[in-house]
Amino acid sequence: MENLVDQGTRPDCAVIALIGVTREYAGHGGVVRALDQASFSIVAGEWVAITGPSGSGKSTLVNLIGCLDRPTQGELVIDGVSTSSMSPAELDRFRADKIGFIFQQFHLIPYLSALENVMLAQYFHSMTDAKEARSSLERVGLGHRAEHLPSELSGGEQQRVCIARALINNPPILLADEPTGNLDAANQKIVADLLRGLHATGHTIVMVTHDPEMAALAQRRIALSHGKVFCHPVNGPVVSLER
Amino acid sequence: MSGLSMSSILRRSLIHRRTRSFSALIALTVSAAVATALLTLYADLDSKLHREFRSFGANVVVTAPDQAHGLPPDTLKKIGLVTSPDARIAEFGYAVATTDRGTPVVVAGTDFGAIRELNSWWQVDTWPSSTQTDVALLGQRAAQFVTNEHSVQLDFAGHPLTLRGVGKLRTGGDEDSRIYLPLAAFSAWTGTQASVIEIQIPGGASEVEASITRLREALPGMKVEPVRQLVEGESRIVDKTHALMYGAVLLIALTVAVSVLATLSASVLERRRDFALMKALGGTQSSLMAMFLFEALILALGGVVAGYVLGSAAAWTIGKINFHTASWPRIGVLPLVLLLNLVIATLAALLPVRVLRSLEPAALLKGE
Ligand SMILES: Nc1ncnc2c1ncn2[C@@H]1O[C@H](COP(=O)(O)OP(=O)(O)OP(=O)(O)O)[C@@H](O)[C@H]1O
Ligand SMILES: [Mg+2]
Repeated sequence: MENLVDQGTRPDCAVIALIGVTREYAGHGGVVRALDQASFSIVAGEWVAITGPSGSGKSTLVNLIGCLDRPTQGELVIDGVSTSSMSPAELDRFRADKIGFIFQQFHLIPYLSALENVMLAQYFHSMTDAKEARSSLERVGLGHRAEHLPSELSGGEQQRVCIARALINNPPILLADEPTGNLDAANQKIVADLLRGLHATGHTIVMVTHDPEMAALAQRRIALSHGKVFCHPVNGPVVSLER
Repeated sequence: MSGLSMSSILRRSLIHRRTRSFSALIALTVSAAVATALLTLYADLDSKLHREFRSFGANVVVTAPDQAHGLPPDTLKKIGLVTSPDARIAEFGYAVATTDRGTPVVVAGTDFGAIRELNSWWQVDTWPSSTQTDVALLGQRAAQFVTNEHSVQLDFAGHPLTLRGVGKLRTGGDEDSRIYLPLAAFSAWTGTQASVIEIQIPGGASEVEASITRLREALPGMKVEPVRQLVEGESRIVDKTHALMYGAVLLIALTVAVSVLATLSASVLERRRDFALMKALGGTQSSLMAMFLFEALILALGGVVAGYVLGSAAAWTIGKINFHTASWPRIGVLPLVLLLNLVIATLAALLPVRVLRSLEPAALLKGE
């Protein structure tokens, strides 16, 4: 736990805490260690950017935090609960309650309208409520496109639907894996403003990005290289955990 | 729009992937249609085959031990008591008379109405009515033994008899050399009673055996014999046809099941990214499984409705062509068809879900 204090965060406030988390993939060409002994924590309301070269383990890390995947080793604590002891069904429930996903590829269901795509998250969480879903779309500026299918929306608009869907159940944590990776500058700005607004309303945001401009929006950067974590303390120089 | 329910998600999904949905529906319709047609025909097969065999005439013969005295007068009544109501029964008395050309000929007294039913395969141009007493049915060869076919002059032990020849008979057997007349007229003329009763027991070999046992008990002293060749041949053919039918049903059901399985599985697998997304949104394994299952079952039900109609129509046509009587739709086959389709659909939905379980949503949602 001392490690965590070293990194300038207080573990008692941590909404996300990783303790020696390793994720290995057993591929055809042998074992790949995508994440290597990662230990850090993120406090509630913090906005963290995860950066690093391709293949450094960013998506692996986000998927672990999102409980879509489980660590090979180590412990992951989210909102004070250790996820390693949870059954798959408990994990599904936990994910619905705690995590909102924003994907680079949006992952909207093509045959459902924007509104229905948002309601799908309600459906798996609790109950559908069209009014609430509509106001979530209004929040991302798409109230007037609610009945449109994803194919009838631009990439930027689709990403905003994806954000509306991530918000609908009011999860404390938002995970965004390259949310602007497929967007042009104008749309990137819209999404950035949205994230800024969400951060202001108290959401914890963990965002993977290649873009220095986006990364600069975050309060803190976590850099990954070959599966190893290098934390940038708030307003400070790079601190290597290894060297 | 108000809520988003599983049924509305499924409806959209089915419409969106209409080609895939349609081919799955077709496959399930075919499986239901094949099952309906085969089961309907199968259920009809016994009665159809036995009806076919009935047209070959008697399968049991009761004979008096002493030809001269004939059968006791109550024999017919006793037989009626121990055989099923739809058994066909005809009495015969035989004697040898002489025609006006001096040729000996076998004359047979019988009931024209009864033999007409019993021997429906006989080729008769005009059947004599069973109410008239002076009519005759002439075997094709016997007709050549008389001078005038329409006014047949016969003599039995010095007793002459004139009959109106009404029709001619052709069987290719002994019957062709006989002259048939009403039993009452025959007895009055020759002084002999019926000595043979031919019975046609409906059903298979076991029914015939059982009837013979009962007849022997009811008619002590009489000879009760099966028409061995026919009874055994019939049961052999029925058994063979059953086995053939069974094999066909199994083979077709298996083939159809495999193709349905493949179609539905593909339809589930092509949505593995949707599945991964739903998982990320908090969908549990069981809720997703329920969704796929529900979809498969809806398709299966649609298939049963369409397949039952098509299959019944097919059975009707096949029955019409092969047995000259239609196989009417049987509602009794519906539960079995339904069960079959639901089982196929459930397997088809659950197999790929098992595969999906092992796929990692994290890997599926990652960029490409
Ligand atoms: N399912 C998997 N099976 C085997 N190896 C995997 C799997 N997923 C990821 N990896 C490997 O793990 C490492 C980290 O992958 P990850 O997707 O986390 O990288 P990333 O930092 O998100 O890269 P990018 O910026 O290109 O998205 C890579 O070397 C990758 O090849
Ligand atoms: Mg990635």
